[in-house]
Amino acid sequence: MSGVTLENVIKTYGDVQVIHGIDLQVENGEFCVFVGPSGCGKSTLMRMVAGLEETTSGQITIGGRDVTRLDPSQRGVAMVFQTYALYPHMTVAENMGFGLRMNGVPKDQITTKVAEAARILKLDPLLDRKPKALSGGQRQRVAIGRTIVRGPEVFLFDEPLSNLDAELRVDMRVEIAALHKQLGATMIYVTHDQVEAMTLADKIVVLRDGRVEQVGAPLDLYRDPDNRFVAGFIGSPAMNFLGGQVAAGALSIPALPGAPALPVGLPPDDTRIEFGIRPEHVRIDPDGHGFRLDLIEKLGGISYAYLYATTGERLIVAEDGETTLSGDTDVGIRFDPARAFLFDAKTGKRLR
Amino acid sequence: MPEHQGSRRALSQRQAALILLLPFMAVYGLFLVYPFFKGVWISLHDWNLMAVAFNPDAKTYVGLRNYERVMWGRDITWGALANPGFQIVGFLGMVASYLLYRSGRAGRVTALAMGIAALLLFVLPGFHPDAGGRWFDRRFWPTVGNTILFVGLAVPGVTVTAMLLAAALDGETRAKAVLRTLFFLSQVLSVTVVTLIWQIMFSPRQGLIANLTELFGGSPVVWLTAEGFAMAAIVIATIWWSLGIAMILFLAGLQDISKDLYEAGALDNATGAKAFWHITLPNLKRTITVVVVLQIILHFQVFGQSHLMTNGGPNDTTQVLVRYIYQTAFRDSELGRASAMAVFLFVIMGAFSILQFVLGRETEE
Repeated sequence: MSGVTLENVIKTYGDVQVIHGIDLQVENGEFCVFVGPSGCGKSTLMRMVAGLEETTSGQITIGGRDVTRLDPSQRGVAMVFQTYALYPHMTVAENMGFGLRMNGVPKDQITTKVAEAARILKLDPLLDRKPKALSGGQRQRVAIGRTIVRGPEVFLFDEPLSNLDAELRVDMRVEIAALHKQLGATMIYVTHDQVEAMTLADKIVVLRDGRVEQVGAPLDLYRDPDNRFVAGFIGSPAMNFLGGQVAAGALSIPALPGAPALPVGLPPDDTRIEFGIRPEHVRIDPDGHGFRLDLIEKLGGISYAYLYATTGERLIVAEDGETTLSGDTDVGIRFDPARAFLFDAKTGKRLR
Repeated sequence: MPEHQGSRRALSQRQAALILLLPFMAVYGLFLVYPFFKGVWISLHDWNLMAVAFNPDAKTYVGLRNYERVMWGRDITWGALANPGFQIVGFLGMVASYLLYRSGRAGRVTALAMGIAALLLFVLPGFHPDAGGRWFDRRFWPTVGNTILFVGLAVPGVTVTAMLLAAALDGETRAKAVLRTLFFLSQVLSVTVVTLIWQIMFSPRQGLIANLTELFGGSPVVWLTAEGFAMAAIVIATIWWSLGIAMILFLAGLQDISKDLYEAGALDNATGAKAFWHITLPNLKRTITVVVVLQIILHFQVFGQSHLMTNGGPNDTTQVLVRYIYQTAFRDSELGRASAMAVFLFVIMGAFSILQFVLGRETEE
């Protein structure tokens, strides 16, 4: 088992550069999640680690070994594909043992390793079936089993749960987390779902347009985002943003009359800013004014209230599940200024 | 569904189906079903083409005697080792198909088809005329043998060549697209053009192949009139001619294989020839079955190549069934006997059609 290091890694397709010099260190045994909106390059980056995409320039090392120009099978990685990519003509056992077979491992050793992996994933009763006869979740398990049998230095998961239904996705998420605990292996996991990222990761890498926006532990990204993109991407429902600017050395936010005093250094006058606050850090003040409560989504344990400021900007507030508020009323809001963030509207940078 | 106004005019589903099917059924019946049964009927008569054309009553019902005249002989006996080469292979084939089925390596239908083929190979060559006996028609069975030999050479030839070509030309580069078109182009030529091209190719004086053999110091082969080479020559021309459709079918089959499988294969150390053997071939199984059966049905009807390139010669080595039927009917005017042979050919092709149908259903399970 060993870590993965990327140094100034670049990928271009013809004239188009899609990965712009990424530096990244994934520690030994770490669960690292690449997250970002579609087209951000997260899958491409993982496929470069796997060797399925050529690295245009830069260096990739796995366990201190430079693998940048090696074949995929030489890199000591195993991958779970979004489509599972099980060989349809082979049984579950043959699928799981295929990699070892191709590497000339003796038959009895393969059988032992397949049985071991099948035991971990509770696949024993399915070993003689073909993939066609399995459910989505079972196929996913076989795909994971195939990687375990290979005994790689690094496990790669390319959006492994996006073909499963919602309920199964939660189950498999828990299983993958348990598997990581059990194997203690280095894992890289690609997803566009920030909930998966938050729940699974030791380290999250937020990507946008082929660049790293921020790297950190899930809660660090939640508490202390570096920029507006990360702030908006991590957390569900997303952070609320209200536009404003600096005037005469003070904040002016049209949606929030009586400008709040935030513990941040303000930029010069006339800088346009964005004020950010998470739904869970706002409370509704039923006696206040300034917002129209449009509707309430009651999810049971929690309710989301949709508020509209006089400026037309929308604000989501997480309220108690048993809230007695009702739609179409005039309300105000309360929040702790220490929980609010301020971003430069132009650069998206956090103002601290 | 909206309710129909004036439902008195509306057709029931059954009526509509009947009306829409009618044109097809009429044409199908007139040009396929009726001629087929007419053919079977003719095969039961002593029917001289010329005589019946001038006098419709100049035919006599003879029952199955035409079949006997074509396929049987005087003092025919059967021996388990009359033709040891084929019969031993057939016997081993029966044993093999049983063992494959028992060990679960072959499906029920596949094993059954293999077993029947092996059984026929064991039984049919065992028939032979006793001392003093003889076949009524000495040319029929050798002609059937030639046809089977032709099919046995052309079908694997076309299948393997087309599959390798498809594997090589599967991709999105412009060169591959151009080559795909080029290789398909031969398919659109008519048999007369194809045979003309290959007659020139095989010509011992100015032909390309003769030129090549001379270039390497060999003496040119007289392909079309040398007994060992004539069949090879028409098989080569046929492979070149009918490559296109098989290649297109294989290309379609290749596109159906998910690219992810090859990526998974790359991670599992299966690339290049290993990937072809372990990933491409097993996933092409269905396409291979379709191509093989379609080609068998197609090539049993070979006529033009033999008729135009070699005239069935030399010494009848390229005489094939359809050409023999044609000659019996239109040169010898023996329409009844020709029809009996045609019915025999129909039975063979019908068997392969059923096989294709059954295999198609089996793989869908």
